[in-house]
Formats: sequence, C-alpha cells, structure tokens
Amino acid sequence: MRCVVPATLQAVEELVADFRRRTQALLNRVNGFAAELLLREALTNAVAHGSHADPSKQVHCFLRLKRGRLLIAVEDYGCGFDWRAAWSTPAASSDCSGRGMEILRKYATRVRYNDRGNAVTIVKRFVEEKHK
Amino acid sequence: MIAVIREDNKVVVRPDGDSIVAASLPELRLKMLAIVAEGVEELVIDLTDVHMVDSSGIGLLISAHNSLRKAGGRLAVIHASAEILDLFQTMRMHQHFSVSGN
Repeated sequence: MRCVVPATLQAVEELVADFRRRTQALLNRVNGFAAELLLREALTNAVAHGSHADPSKQVHCFLRLKRGRLLIAVEDYGCGFDWRAAWSTPAASSDCSGRGMEILRKYATRVRYNDRGNAVTIVKRFVEEKHK
Repeated sequence: MIAVIREDNKVVVRPDGDSIVAASLPELRLKMLAIVAEGVEELVIDLTDVHMVDSSGIGLLISAHNSLRKAGGRLAVIHASAEILDLFQTMRMHQHFSVSGN
C-alpha cells in the first residue's frame, strides 16, 4: 500500500482506518494494536512536527505486511530533526511530550531514519500471527 | 459526546470515541482542563470504549496528573484494555497514577 496524504491529523485518521480494515483479518488483537500504534506515531510525527500540520504539504507512506513482517515507511518534506539526540534521550517521566520515539523503540523490531531525519522506516516482526 | 459523571469531589470522564490520539485530543483536553480548574480531588478517566492511546494521549494524561498533583488532587485510569494496560506499563505510567483494567 503506497499513498500520499495531506499533512493533517484527519488524513492520519483516514489512513489508519484504512490500514485497520486491510489488516484486521491478518493480525490478532495484540499485534493489530502494536501495528496501529507504530503507524500512528510515524504519521503523527510527520504531520505535526515534520509538516506543522500544514494541509498544503504532503506526507508519503508505504506499508507492507507480509509473512508476519510489517514495514512502515513515512517521509515528510520538513527539515527533519536530530533523531540521534532524541533517540538517546528519553523523555523525563513527568514530561508531557516526547514519548513517540520511546514507543517506536519499545514496540518496533527495527527503526531507521535517514540522515536528515525526515524519513523513517520501521519494521515490526510479529511473533504470533493469527488468521481469524 | 464525552460523558462526565460527578460524585462529590470526584469526576469521572468517559471519552466517547475509541481513541485518545492526536486528532481527538483538543476536545478532551478542553474538558479535562475545565475539570482540573474546578479543583476536584479525583479525576477518573474511564477507558471502557477506548481501544487506542498514542503518545499524544499519554502526554495529556501526564499533563492532567501534573496539574492535579500540584493542586493536591489525583488522576486515575480505569477499564483500560489489556493492550493499553501493557502500553502504560511499558511507558511506566503506573508510577504516576493508578491504572486498572477491565
């Protein structure tokens, strides 16, 4: 699934709903939650931080679920961010923001950013995949 | 519509949507801010209908917890699904406020 969406939170909701419909027969409840959470964090980061929720900007997304392996690739046209610093500095426990990256770190099997920090590729391998 | 149930100095908020995520945050944030400003002792978030909470939603809960604690109050989350309970434990939310499942 490859798509280009406007940089709005509404577009995130529509894409996530489509993803949920396409994968609900392929992922059990626990894995479906993890997959949706990872997708939401990647998209919301691209929309809110990478594009400042500017609807004239676009976010590119590529999704593939095959043989228990989910690939999420999201790219925005923003100037990126210093993901190396953010990766190594978790949010303080009382901070109200900055937990998106920690969620990626905890839930994903592998996370890669490009140098500029405006494109992320996330891989999630599911230990148990059930068909309904 | 977000349901708000008042019991003495306790207020229970039950979000109506199935997600507490970036897109759904503004309405819930306004409602919670108004309740916190009332000076309630306990704010309970009932997640019966909620199936997803993202990092923005976690941020809102931490923010409400911080504000309530400053005023001598407390936050509690009830009826969380198994997946949300796991997320909150992974993110150490239970160190801040009470979290219980279905």
